[in-house]
Amino acid sequence: MAKEIMLHAVGIDKQFGPTHAVDHVSLDFYKGEIHALIGENGSGKSTFTNMLTGIISIGEGTFELDGEQIAPKNQVDANHHGAAVIVQEQGTLDGLTVAENMFLGDENQFITGGIKNTGAMIKKAQELLDSYGLDYIKAVDPIDNYNFEDRKLVEIVKSTWFAPKVLVVDETTTALSQNGRAELFNVMNKVREDGRTVIFISHDMAEVLSMSDTISILRDGEYITTVSADEVDEEQLKTLMVGREMSDHYYREDYDGSLAGDVAISMKDVSVPGELEEVSLDLHKGEILGIGGLSECGMHEVGKALFGASYERTGEVELGDGTAINDINTAINHSIAYASKDRDNESLLIADTIQDNITLPSLRKMGLPLSKSKQKKFANEYAELMSVKMVNTDQFVSALSGGNKQKVVLARWVGAESEILLLDSPTRGIDIKVKADIYALMDEMRKQGKAILVISEEIMELIGMCDRILVMKDHKINGELQRSKELTEQDLIALMV
Amino acid sequence: MQSFLKKARQSQWYGVGLLLVISVVIWAVFKIGAPATFGAPDKLLSYMQTALIYAIGGCGLYFICVMGLFDFSIGSMLIAAELSTIALIPQAGWVAVIVVPILVGVVLGLCNGIAYIKMHIPSIIVTTGLSLIYESFSVYIADVNGTRLDNAFKLFGAYPWNLIVALIAFGLCYFILNYTKIGTYTNAIGANELVAKNMGVNVDKYKAIAFTLCGTFVGIMSILYLGYGTAQTPQTGMLSQALNFQPLMGTFFGLAFKKYGHPVVSILIGEYIVAMIFAGFVALGMPTTVNNIVTGATLLAIVTLTTKRRNGAVVK
Repeated sequence: MAKEIMLHAVGIDKQFGPTHAVDHVSLDFYKGEIHALIGENGSGKSTFTNMLTGIISIGEGTFELDGEQIAPKNQVDANHHGAAVIVQEQGTLDGLTVAENMFLGDENQFITGGIKNTGAMIKKAQELLDSYGLDYIKAVDPIDNYNFEDRKLVEIVKSTWFAPKVLVVDETTTALSQNGRAELFNVMNKVREDGRTVIFISHDMAEVLSMSDTISILRDGEYITTVSADEVDEEQLKTLMVGREMSDHYYREDYDGSLAGDVAISMKDVSVPGELEEVSLDLHKGEILGIGGLSECGMHEVGKALFGASYERTGEVELGDGTAINDINTAINHSIAYASKDRDNESLLIADTIQDNITLPSLRKMGLPLSKSKQKKFANEYAELMSVKMVNTDQFVSALSGGNKQKVVLARWVGAESEILLLDSPTRGIDIKVKADIYALMDEMRKQGKAILVISEEIMELIGMCDRILVMKDHKINGELQRSKELTEQDLIALMV
Repeated sequence: MQSFLKKARQSQWYGVGLLLVISVVIWAVFKIGAPATFGAPDKLLSYMQTALIYAIGGCGLYFICVMGLFDFSIGSMLIAAELSTIALIPQAGWVAVIVVPILVGVVLGLCNGIAYIKMHIPSIIVTTGLSLIYESFSVYIADVNGTRLDNAFKLFGAYPWNLIVALIAFGLCYFILNYTKIGTYTNAIGANELVAKNMGVNVDKYKAIAFTLCGTFVGIMSILYLGYGTAQTPQTGMLSQALNFQPLMGTFFGLAFKKYGHPVVSILIGEYIVAMIFAGFVALGMPTTVNNIVTGATLLAIVTLTTKRRNGAVVK
């Protein structure tokens, strides 16, 4: 039986100033398929789907959804036309109840004569949560009472309960634990089984191959090709994305660990309520130390604790020379750098320029009066060193792709000549080419004698890049593994679960 | 036990209970200090009389502050509404007492909203600028029929009518916050304006509505304020700003206890606490300057100690 087209995109085009984000892309998506959209950071995937789902306006071209031409004004308008999106970052709002979040912008179904039937809204929201097996989430509660994962699950219900014809899943999996991912994959499979369509954006090639039927590749805003998931492997996909053969060996290839020197920073019996329980570790100069574990094991707090950003910490954090690190200023003054997992909220001044983001911690070294030209030169030097894809350093960081944002974060700390780098999920949501660049930079810094801590949920990254790996479970360190060719994913997983 | 305490803290009644306990403690402290002149039942009713007036203004200001904006023109709007009432009483009688201040509030609030949206400059600057204009406007209105309210129209300055009007205003605020889109959308805009916009919320429209509502509640507040005070002189040179602060104190409480109880109840109890503190210092014979220092410090202490924020949380 011939496949029926669900979404017919013709000549879709979008420019942001001089940046051509999506360049006249024409693409068909069929009913009953999970269609992956892949490409490097900045290839135009999210811009394309953001136009479809009303997050940004369409520049040029048309979307025809199940025979109807649509140009949504906002996300709710897109929902009404049958297109929904689950985004990577948090999409629920503090101060509102779970029910209010679920129906935000779509309350009219509960309004008669200008009066909102709050009881009916809560009842319907609860019924929907129950039907997804999320009965522990109460529709009447303020959403602030729930953690990131539960809030993401609320978003999944919000985006799918009305059976959208096209569901866009934009890099959502990186924000979810294994259980959350399983829940999301169930929803995606159900959409496919119902004869509707999922557009799946992910940088995890294994995930793309296992979940998708069809895969389309974008590069620098242009459509490259569409392939069947059965006919390609990871290497072929990487080549299609980058436009050239990618070496499989972007991880370190040395196994002697000979560079590790004196202790650069250590933590002793550090506890943070609900996050860490009596954690001790040493990070050496010339070493990459990995911290792994399941999402909620407390590992993300380790970076904050070492950076002086854990506000309810007990126990000691000190440098090799005995200097105590109890606050962020002391940490920065002693050449410690920290890149948070929550890049947009905790690492970047999102509504500020690339220049300001790169120069900020180095201003104190530039002397007074501050020279604009000196700052510009400094920002240019490190942005270029990190190959940030940009128009110039006056460009706002908010306009950059995820990978380029991360490059700005790293450029900032490289520029600040940091000796100790605490990197939480350094390659989260980042394409393989930028990943390779970041791994090369980490290895280079290790050889220069810098101490690097990598907190990651990607097991292969830990195995491929770290001299030692501390695996955490239930807020404690559950084991230590040394760098070795024989080390496998199973060795880490055994300590995680 | 821990889970009981956690559940209690998440309850809607947690904040209200806490504020009531604080009220009793403050009453007890001043009662011990000035047993003859503070805290008798008739005095408590008198404190409530003041609290009711400012709490209505606090309710209006809540719609603005919850979005992260500010309205610095409350005092000048209040004066304009009162003087307009006095000016029109000879022609319109009770209609002037009830309808005119609300209409003035609606119109000036709408002006604030439109100016803020069209000018694209911070709300604090827009409303301060407009406040100067409203102050001057009031000087001209005062020329029409003077600055005193005729004794025959003082009905809303005392019980039970002040209470009835206040309850209607509180009910209206509660209704808008809970049973219209305005409550949800002002909260959503305050939480993340961009996401709210992406969800189809017409941000400019709801900001204008919030300013208009603020003006409306200031108009209702002026009905009680004029009846209670019986006269209002026009103010210029930004002297009306002094009238901004008491409604604002109630709004502080409403915002601080938003997660732990309904804002309207928190605003009212908050204003009552402030009224008690003022009256308590007067009863103790303290000079006004000391009174203001201690009131300000007490207010900050209450809000700081009772709203537990995570260490390191961003506070704007």
